Amino acid sequence: MPAIPVTVLTGYLGAGKTTLLNRILSEPHGKRFAVIVNEFGEIGIDNDLVVGADEEVFEMNNGCICCTVRGDLIRIIGGLLKRKGGFDGIIIETTGLADPAPVAQTFFVDPEVAERTRLDAIVTVVDARHIAQRLADSHEAEEQVAFADVILLNKTDLADAEALEAVERRLRSMNPFARILRTERCAVGLDDVLGIGAFDLDRVLAAEPGFLSEDDHEHDQSVTSVSLAGTRPLDPAAFDLWFRTLIQLKGVDLLRYKGILAFAGSDRRTVVQGVHMLSDSANLGLWQGGAERVSRFVLIGRKLDADALSAGFAECAAR
Amino acid sequence: MSRSPERRWETGAPVVAIAVNRDGSHAAAALGDGTLWMIDLAEAGAEPAVVPVHDGACLALARDIDGGGFLTGGDDGRLRRIAPGTGPVTLATAPGRWIEHIDSHPRARLRAYNAGKRVHRIGVDGQPDGPVLEHPSTVGGLAFAPGGQRLAVAHYGGVSLWWLKGAAEPVRLDWKGSHLGMLWHPEGTHLITLLQESGLHGWRLKDRAEMSMGGYPTKVRSVGWTTGARFLATGGADCAVCWPFTGGGPWDKRPLELAAGAADLITVVAPHPTSPFVAAGCGDGLVLLAALDGSPPAGVAPASGSAVTAMVWSGDGRHLLYGTEAGRLCHIALPERAGKRPG
Repeated sequence: MPAIPVTVLTGYLGAGKTTLLNRILSEPHGKRFAVIVNEFGEIGIDNDLVVGADEEVFEMNNGCICCTVRGDLIRIIGGLLKRKGGFDGIIIETTGLADPAPVAQTFFVDPEVAERTRLDAIVTVVDARHIAQRLADSHEAEEQVAFADVILLNKTDLADAEALEAVERRLRSMNPFARILRTERCAVGLDDVLGIGAFDLDRVLAAEPGFLSEDDHEHDQSVTSVSLAGTRPLDPAAFDLWFRTLIQLKGVDLLRYKGILAFAGSDRRTVVQGVHMLSDSANLGLWQGGAERVSRFVLIGRKLDADALSAGFAECAAR
Repeated sequence: MSRSPERRWETGAPVVAIAVNRDGSHAAAALGDGTLWMIDLAEAGAEPAVVPVHDGACLALARDIDGGGFLTGGDDGRLRRIAPGTGPVTLATAPGRWIEHIDSHPRARLRAYNAGKRVHRIGVDGQPDGPVLEHPSTVGGLAFAPGGQRLAVAHYGGVSLWWLKGAAEPVRLDWKGSHLGMLWHPEGTHLITLLQESGLHGWRLKDRAEMSMGGYPTKVRSVGWTTGARFLATGGADCAVCWPFTGGGPWDKRPLELAAGAADLITVVAPHPTSPFVAAGCGDGLVLLAALDGSPPAGVAPASGSAVTAMVWSGDGRHLLYGTEAGRLCHIALPERAGKRPG
């Protein structure tokens, strides 16, 4: 049975999440979506598969301090799976004040949800005029940008070009993975927000060019990204120890990370990605014959010590 | 063994739950297309009556207070009663909510169901009985105590134990984590909950002694008492793990592992009500009967490729019913010399 793709829509209050949701549901795509909303009544579309969520965030009793999940999502998805006929996808709208981590972690931690669904992407809608202020005063707004696979920089018609450039630079420095799309009234093609496969390891590989961006970091912000790169092949045991220690000690502050790594003695590219302490990796695809084997590892998080990370990563090079 | 009479239907919708009524005349299967299939257990030639009871999916099924009827809950927010030969009656509605957990008790003469964090009680006359019971988070399971004097409600962080008469505040049994279902010991002495974290928790009520039963590769979704409550049989592993409850509880004892070696995990267990064996249904549709003496299990149904999602015995142990996610519904009537393991 193919896993059902799940799209998470986040964004601060008033950014345009409901507009995007109504747009997705009203397009003539012939697909059937189950929609999990935090507030009934805002959806203008008649859909018998709209379910209200309670946003119950639970700590797992598994010794992992940052492992919180959305208990209501586990329950609702379990119930939806009992329905005859099924549906083509699930869309989860979160409240403006929601932290995306428990939502994302639910798809890795719960065995039934992990088996039957796959997290396709986190889509964050931001208001081009207000996002700078939101980032300054709201922890959740920062998380929503940090976790995004696609950022809709919305209401661009209401902001001037210079301000848009500045906002986009800021978003890019916080989250180098995300695709940033400028929109008015959330007008995007459905292919830009659905079927992204952002958590698939092979898509991490396909998105490699975007990895290279070395942006100017703003050191006054709390969520930052650190890009690590090295041309010497890595020692598997050394990297494993460094990485495991890192996610154990810094898992709470590490929001998302993706890497494409070259290990000594392997002709394959190793891809790693994760959320907090939950990581996933695989060996995918051969390195091209003549191409230089560069290991790249990008981390998004809080209180990231770029120098220490850089030194630790360099120490992993095979001798 | 001579082939037992078996009836089989392909319903086309996931089988969510199956129950047999108290007098043993009928079984009901609640399906993911909102229908209830009512099966006459005595009339081998009769086709099931298919009755639409919910818009959307059925989510819960239980015996009603009387000997004949059933209660169903659905994602249309309705609690309905249906009895053989009659149409469904709506007992309660919870607009915008799902009704996922239901129980009833003949001595308490009550039905209980949840809508989100709240538990409501309804009397025989169909009217609300007693105040609404509030909980700190969405209810994960509820069950009347065997004696019918208490109601246990599982939720995040533990269980609330309500007296049906008297105290306005529940006794709390605390255990961190999400509790997704529960089962009373038939003597009312222990309470077991099913955890989000791949295991079980439990309390011996007289001294609040706690027990944790772990080591499962996935969430345990199905538990049941073997005859005489000697063992608690559980799904969620590649064998039917049976925890001994003779001599006070499972502390410091090793569980029995029955029906080991199945190709897929056991999803549903149904201990026989009067004889020492357990029916186990697997993720690939295989159904086995395993004796508690550890002798090799007997096959009841081969793997169909679709997980067994519900399985139940009639109270006299002469009828076994099971259903799968793909919608297969089976009724197996055991030979008259019931009480011995067929084999």
